[in-house]
Amino acid sequence: MGFLSELVDKLARRPEDIRAENLRHWINTLPDITPLSEASARQRHKVAGVIQNIRIDPRTGRDSLEATITDGSGTLIAKWLGRPKMSGIRLGAGLIVEGVVGTQDGDLVLLNPEYELVPGPEHG
Amino acid sequence: MSKAPTAFKRIMLGRPMSSGELEHTLLPKRLALPVFASDALSSMAYATQEILIVLALAGTAALSVVFPISIAVSVLLAIVITSYRQIVRAYPGGGGAYVVARENLGFTAGLGVGAALLLDYILTVSVSITAGGDAIVSAFPELASHKLGLTIALILLVTLANLRGSKESGRLFAVPTYGFVLAMYALIFTGLVKCIGGCPQAASADHHLDPVSGITLFLLLKAFAAGTTALTGVEAIAEGVPVFRFPQSRNAATTLGVLGVLSISMFVGMSWLTDRTNVVYEHGAELTSVAQVAEAVYGRGFMFYVTQVATALILILAANTAYTGFPVLASILAQDRMMPRQFRSRGDRLVFSNGIVILAIFASLLVYVFDANLTQLIQLYLVGVFLSFTLAQFGTVMRWRRTREPKWQRSATINAVGGAVTGIVLIVVIVTKFMTGAWIIILATPAVMFLMRSIYLHYTDVSEQLADEQRRPVDRRPGNQHMVILVSTVDASVTRALGYARSARPSSLTVITTDRAVHAACRGLARDMEIHLLEGRGPIRPRLKEYLTSRRSELSDDDFLTLLIPEVLQSGSLFEVLRRPGIHRLKGWLLNEPGVQVMDIPLVKQEIDPYADQAHEPARNYAIVLVAGVHNATLQAIEYAETLRPTDLRAVSFGLDPAETEKLGTSWLAAAIPHPLEIDDAPFRDLGRSLLSYIRAFEPDGHNTVVTVVLPEFVTKKSRHRILHGQTALIIKRHLLFEPGVVTVSVPYHLER
Repeated sequence: MGFLSELVDKLARRPEDIRAENLRHWINTLPDITPLSEASARQRHKVAGVIQNIRIDPRTGRDSLEATITDGSGTLIAKWLGRPKMSGIRLGAGLIVEGVVGTQDGDLVLLNPEYELVPGPEHG
Repeated sequence: MSKAPTAFKRIMLGRPMSSGELEHTLLPKRLALPVFASDALSSMAYATQEILIVLALAGTAALSVVFPISIAVSVLLAIVITSYRQIVRAYPGGGGAYVVARENLGFTAGLGVGAALLLDYILTVSVSITAGGDAIVSAFPELASHKLGLTIALILLVTLANLRGSKESGRLFAVPTYGFVLAMYALIFTGLVKCIGGCPQAASADHHLDPVSGITLFLLLKAFAAGTTALTGVEAIAEGVPVFRFPQSRNAATTLGVLGVLSISMFVGMSWLTDRTNVVYEHGAELTSVAQVAEAVYGRGFMFYVTQVATALILILAANTAYTGFPVLASILAQDRMMPRQFRSRGDRLVFSNGIVILAIFASLLVYVFDANLTQLIQLYLVGVFLSFTLAQFGTVMRWRRTREPKWQRSATINAVGGAVTGIVLIVVIVTKFMTGAWIIILATPAVMFLMRSIYLHYTDVSEQLADEQRRPVDRRPGNQHMVILVSTVDASVTRALGYARSARPSSLTVITTDRAVHAACRGLARDMEIHLLEGRGPIRPRLKEYLTSRRSELSDDDFLTLLIPEVLQSGSLFEVLRRPGIHRLKGWLLNEPGVQVMDIPLVKQEIDPYADQAHEPARNYAIVLVAGVHNATLQAIEYAETLRPTDLRAVSFGLDPAETEKLGTSWLAAAIPHPLEIDDAPFRDLGRSLLSYIRAFEPDGHNTVVTVVLPEFVTKKSRHRILHGQTALIIKRHLLFEPGVVTVSVPYHLER
C-alpha cells in the first residue's frame, strides 16, 4: 500500500510544483545568479527568471512597464519607469536583471534594472 | 482518495505540460523515423497485394507482372523522395504541401492542398487500421466476424495514445516500426535462402483464376496506380520538420533518405517473393498476401505469427502519422483562418487535442460506412496524396526560381521532374480509380475547399468589422449608465444587486418584476426607486423584450442599459445550473438583444453576508476587462467598465502565445487606451484556473470588496456562425458563477454582417 499511495502522490503532483522544480534546475545552470528565495531587500543581486506576468501602464505620469519573473523559488517584479516599450518582453521569456532590490507592497522589486533577455529553460 | 481521479487521468494521458516544455518533445532521428515513416513503411504490407488484386482480373498468368510493376513504383518512389529531400531543405520551418502551395501558388492552390490533405489524413487512419485488422484476422481467423468492432476499437486505442503527446508516441511507436522492418527483412532473407533450391510455394499457388479481362494497358496502369499506395506517407516528414531535433532540415532529409532505402528494398523484396512463391490473391481471400508468403516460407510456425503481429502493429501505428500530421495541419489552417479557431490551440498535453478527436471520429465513420473493407477504402485513397505531391513540388520550383540560392537550378530541376512525374501519376490514379470510388474524393475535395473558403471569408469579415473606424466606440462618461434589476424573488441577492447598482451611481435605476407579490415586497425594500411591473401573463421573454426596447428607444446611443440578474445559488455544484434552465436560456437570449448588457450578481448561499437584508454599497469594486486583442469589442467593454465607477480598472489577458503577448502590448500602447493592461501567464493553458487565482488575489467577499469581470463578446448575425467563435466567454462564466464576490457582465458587440 505504501508503494501505491506514493505512486498516486507522484502522479497527482501538481504541475505547478513540477514546473517550479524545472525552473530551479535552470537557475542552477546560469552563472552568478542568486535564487529569488535568497534575495533580500536593499542588497545588490543578479537574479533570473521566466516572465509570468507583464503589466503596462500607459497613464500619463504613471508610464511604466513591469515584468514579474519567477525562478521556482520566488518572484520579483522588474519595473521600468517612463514610456513603456515591448521590445522582446513576452511571456515565457527568460530575463536576467541586476540591481539593488527594493520592496513594493511586500513584493521584491527592481527599479529600472539592467536587463538581459535569454532563452527560457522551456525554449530552445 | 480525492487524488485518485487525477492520478487516473495522469496515467492515461500523462501530466499537463507547460508551453515551454515543447522543446523536450522534439524528436531525435531514431524516434522521428518511426513516428513519420510508419505510414510509408506500413503500406508495404498491402501495396503488393493491391497490385495482385488488379492483375488477378487478367487471370493467374498475369500475376507475374507484379514484379516489373513494383520496380516501376520503386522508381517513382525514388524520384519523389529525392525531390522531397530538396523540399525539406527549402522549408526548414516545416514545408508541408499546404505551406508550400499557399506561399508559392496562391490562395486557391493552398485551399486545394489543405482540403486534399485533411481528407487524406482521415483515409490514412481508416486504411491503415483496416489493413491492421486484416493482418490480425489472417493470424486468428476466428476473429473474422468481429472485424468491424475490432477495427474501431483499434482506432480508439491509437487515439488515446496520441492524446498523450508526441514524444511518448515516438518511443511507443519505435519498437513496432523497427520490429516490422526486421520481420520483413527476416522474411525476405529466409525466403531468398530457401529459394536457392527452388522456391517454396504458397498454399494458393495452384489455385487457378480465369481471366475476365486481357492484359490491357488500362489494366497495367490500374495495377500501377494501386501500387503507388507505397508512396503515401513520404509527405509526412516534410510536414513534420518542426518536430525534429536541430538541425531540423538536415535531420529530416537524412530520415527521408533512410526511409527511401528501407521502403524500396522491402517493396522490391516482398514483390519478388510474392511472385516466386506464386501467391494467388483475389478479392475476399482469407489470408493477406504477406500472410501467404510468410506461411510458404515459415509454415504455420512461430515466425509466421511474429510476422503477422509485427505487420498488424505497424499498420495500427501507421495511423499515428496522420494523428501527428492532421492536428498540426488543422492548426496551421486555423491560423490562416481556414478552419475554426478551436483547432488552433494545443490541449493540456501540448498536442492539438481537438484535431485528434475530430480525426478519430471521421476515420471511424469511414470504416463503419465501408464495413472495414480495405480494397474499397483504398479506392478513395491516393488522389489527395498525389495532388499535394504535385502542387508541393511545383510550388517549391517557384520558390527556387524566386530565391536563386546557390545551386538552385539543380534543386529546381529535381523538383520539376518530381512534380511532372507525380502529376502524370495523379491523372493515372484519377482515370483508373474514378469509377471504383475516387469520385467520392473528387466531389468531396471541392466541397471541403468551399467550406474552408467560407470560413476564411467569415473571419476576415469579422476582423474587418471589429477594426472598423466608423464603428469605433465613442468615449462615455459614468453618467451614461442606466440599470435595471430583474427580480423574480426577493432575497439576499436582490439587496446585494441594489447595493452594487447604487455604488455605480447610474443615471437611472429601475427594478422590474413580473410578479405582483414581488412588486409589493420591493416597495418596502427601496422607497426611492422606480419599481415597474411587467404586466401580462405567459412567458417572460416578450414582455421583457418590449420593456427593454421601449427603454432603449428613450436612451441615446452613448448610453448603456444594463440588466442585472440577481441569483441565490444553493451550492457550488454545477447541478445548480441544471436546476434553473430557464434563467440560462433567458441570459443566452438576452445576449442577442441589441444595446443591452447582462450582469450576473450571484450569491452563493453558504456565503456569510452581514448586510444580507440591506442594500449595502461595496467599498471597493475592481473592474477587470478580459481582452484577447485590441478591437472595437474590447474598446466598447472598456468604455462600459468606466461607467461603473470602479475603484480600479484594468484590462487583463491570459495565456496567449508568447509572440502574441508582445503584439498585444504593442497595439495596446498604440491605441493609447488610458488604462493599465496586464498579461498573465496561463502556463497550463487552463484559462479558468488562471483567472480564478488572479481574482482571488483581490480577496472579494461580495459585500465590501467586489470584483467585476467584464467580458467583451461579439455576437454574429447568423447563429450558424457562432460555432466558429470560441465559447471562451461561456467557459469563463461557468467558472465564475460560484465564486463569491464576483460579478460578471457581458458586453455584446453586435456584428452588422
